[in-house]
Amino acid sequence: MTALDLADIQGGILRAYGQSFPKARYFFLTIRNAAKGRQFVEQLRPRITTAARWKDPNRGEALLRTRNPRVKDVVRAEGVPDYPGEVQLIKPRVTLNIAFTFYGLAALEVPTRTLRAMPDEFIDGMERRASILGDDPFLDSRDAVWRNSEGKNRVHLLVSMNAGMNPDGTPIAELEEETRWLQQLCADSKGGVVLLSGTGPDDALWQEMSAVLREDNGAFWPTNKEHFGLSDGFGDPVFAGQLSGEAERLRMIGGGKILPDQSWAPLAPGEFLLGYVDEAQEIPGAAMPIEFSRNGTFMAYRKLHENVASFANYIERAGEHYARMFNIADPEEARETVKAKMVGRWSDGVPLMAAPTHADWERFKAELAAAHAAGDKPKLAQLALKYTDFNYRPDPAGATCPVTSHLRRANPRDMLDPNFTSPDAKSWDGSALVNRRRILRRGLPYGHVDPAAPDDANEQGIIFMAICSSLFRQFEFVQQQWMQYGLDFNAGSDTCPIVGNHDEEAKLVVVTDPATARQPFLCDHIPQLVESRGGDYFFVPSMTALRMIGMGIIDPT
Amino acid sequence: MPNLDGGHYFFTGIVPVNNTGIVQHEAMKSSPIHMVREALETLPTALQSHASEKIGIQSPFARSLRTHFARIVVLDEPFYNGRDHADALVSAIRGTDLLEAQPVDALACPYLLVMIDFDPADAQGKGEPRGYFEELWRLMPAELTAVFRYCYGFDAVTDAASFAGFILACQVETTMPFNDYWVGAPQLPSLSTAMLAAVPIVGLAVPLLLAWCWHWSWWQGLLLGIGGALLGVLIDYWLVMRRGGKPFPAAPNSTLRDVLKALYLQQAFTRFVIARQGADPATLGPAFRAFLAEHRPGDLDAPTQSPGVIRSHFPKGAA
Repeated sequence: MTALDLADIQGGILRAYGQSFPKARYFFLTIRNAAKGRQFVEQLRPRITTAARWKDPNRGEALLRTRNPRVKDVVRAEGVPDYPGEVQLIKPRVTLNIAFTFYGLAALEVPTRTLRAMPDEFIDGMERRASILGDDPFLDSRDAVWRNSEGKNRVHLLVSMNAGMNPDGTPIAELEEETRWLQQLCADSKGGVVLLSGTGPDDALWQEMSAVLREDNGAFWPTNKEHFGLSDGFGDPVFAGQLSGEAERLRMIGGGKILPDQSWAPLAPGEFLLGYVDEAQEIPGAAMPIEFSRNGTFMAYRKLHENVASFANYIERAGEHYARMFNIADPEEARETVKAKMVGRWSDGVPLMAAPTHADWERFKAELAAAHAAGDKPKLAQLALKYTDFNYRPDPAGATCPVTSHLRRANPRDMLDPNFTSPDAKSWDGSALVNRRRILRRGLPYGHVDPAAPDDANEQGIIFMAICSSLFRQFEFVQQQWMQYGLDFNAGSDTCPIVGNHDEEAKLVVVTDPATARQPFLCDHIPQLVESRGGDYFFVPSMTALRMIGMGIIDPT
Repeated sequence: MPNLDGGHYFFTGIVPVNNTGIVQHEAMKSSPIHMVREALETLPTALQSHASEKIGIQSPFARSLRTHFARIVVLDEPFYNGRDHADALVSAIRGTDLLEAQPVDALACPYLLVMIDFDPADAQGKGEPRGYFEELWRLMPAELTAVFRYCYGFDAVTDAASFAGFILACQVETTMPFNDYWVGAPQLPSLSTAMLAAVPIVGLAVPLLLAWCWHWSWWQGLLLGIGGALLGVLIDYWLVMRRGGKPFPAAPNSTLRDVLKALYLQQAFTRFVIARQGADPATLGPAFRAFLAEHRPGDLDAPTQSPGVIRSHFPKGAA
């Protein structure tokens, strides 16, 4: 097994802070004086959260905290450690991490020879890649911090804090204390490091984020929902060295890669961390010196606004149509089915591949409730695996899970095997073509939605972060070819029904089982559901690289 | 052979440019090839992307209903990759003088590489590519003049026939055409393995049989047999190469006019399906008949998609 130097890797790469830190604040800063900028990095460095394993003094019975078990919850409930290594740390109250844009590294006087070996897309930054990402129509509606990100207001630094939550749904007090401390550091720099305003409509000094909460007898619990009401975050890649042996064995099923013999294996760590072997069986070149790059990675930060009223209205209209066409009496069943066909999962995250019809879904939920009530851990473990353990070989036409649903586009698993339809099992290639396109998804929702009065204009959406060792090969490819285009799926120019750009004729073809004579259903005239409000590309250095940046001692020769 | 393949003509030509002296275009004095590049770079592309749709100026090649793709590229010089690779020990033994320059391929002038895929007027390709270039001259003489005006021999071009003669003189054989219109594997006759195997076997067996009949010594028979078998393999090789040299058959309905009609129908039919999904058979039947009457699937002339665009334009609300 690959042994990763966990204490050198920044936290948030190996683990999603997600549910245990449901509150977050992200700060964007610019450096106007290199020496003060380096001093700022040095002041932050001791407090940065790494990927080292920690002990949670308040850890509860994980399975009972979530309604839908995930493999990691089952693993935890079984007492298996998630992350490798000895535990010498206590879980922090607030995590702190830091990342740099290309211009941020330049402002800190990282040597030219190191800078020039940085990838083109990272140097360009997100704004100049707008036409690739499909962001052009939304450039003017970006937050001020991104619209003004040039010259002395160029975003150089991202400081991120994730924190726990009080039972009343507010962030723990330490988040405010850490915020004050960060603001004080900026004040002490006397203009050397400036906290930029303009994240959101009200010139806010930071991006506030929070998991969507659910209320239970006056107490609030974080959920894995986003504002469309869909459960998210099941299909993250699993790579070698990320998890302990037993956790890896379980979580790579559905999270790793599919081998030609149809078994699962963890992905190569070089797909997500620089300085390691990747899926091409090589260590790709990186900026010199190698200690500067190794254990670091790249991140795309995107603020994605969600048009919740448009989504609700569209599902209402398409649901009515679907019910009429297929003689479904219950409008809720029709709406849920249309939604599931667009996403590839039912709204609680159960994949269509595990529960193809509404009746199957009801059965799945009943089984889950029974297992919860009985505290039947083996059964819960078995059900948890169904959220990720599937491939598309049984469904070549997409009659169960539409080929161009969001889920199947984002991770086509074995579907792009050139010999996918070959009856000769010896010729199968598993997910070889997809393994070079995987991204770690991180992030939290922002804003608040009142389900009784959904509105497109309110400040609401999701902060989406994609972590990968090549933004060009992984994040941009998925965004451009799979989300904003449909040729790889034989769907012409059809874009993703959820996150794609939709012109007035945007559609999704919902194929029915070719064995039945039922007509396909076309989701037509899908409105624009998700719009970018800005973002940028960041380098997430290792602790070693941070020390070199802070001390100003990078020697690329 | 591969000039005509898969039912399409793949023209390749390399046309030398007389790049001597300077030429003047409006206020600009520059080398001829510079002006040719400018003409090429300002030649409009087809309206094949959202950005070019906004510009709205159509490629002149779209005036022809036979052109699938056209590309014109300037060839300056072949790449020079340094000395030929050689084993250092072999070079030392031979006494190769590494300071002595090796001959390097160079072009005496810039060339225009012209690659055009088009439908031949006749399925067998008779009269092509002359017919196509004569048609092209009639459709876009000004643009062709702007591109080719400094090429050797262009002075003699006065009409369609002389233009075709000028460009045909520069044609080279296309050895690797790329044809995208076959969606499934075509039914190709394949040589039988048994027949291929039989030829060398007969070559081996006949001398052995003769040796046995005429009481030659065994080694004479065997030697002749091996010779016969080798001859058989050569005959097989010739058979395979001859068969491989035959052009790929044309894909059904793959002329430009067929492709444009198909793109048009695909868009019209998608609209029809969306507008009437879930309709009962009683309304669907007449509606579909009306669709057939309006869009005339068998009629390649109209209604159809214009060449050089990525979508058909329908009247508002039409389906």
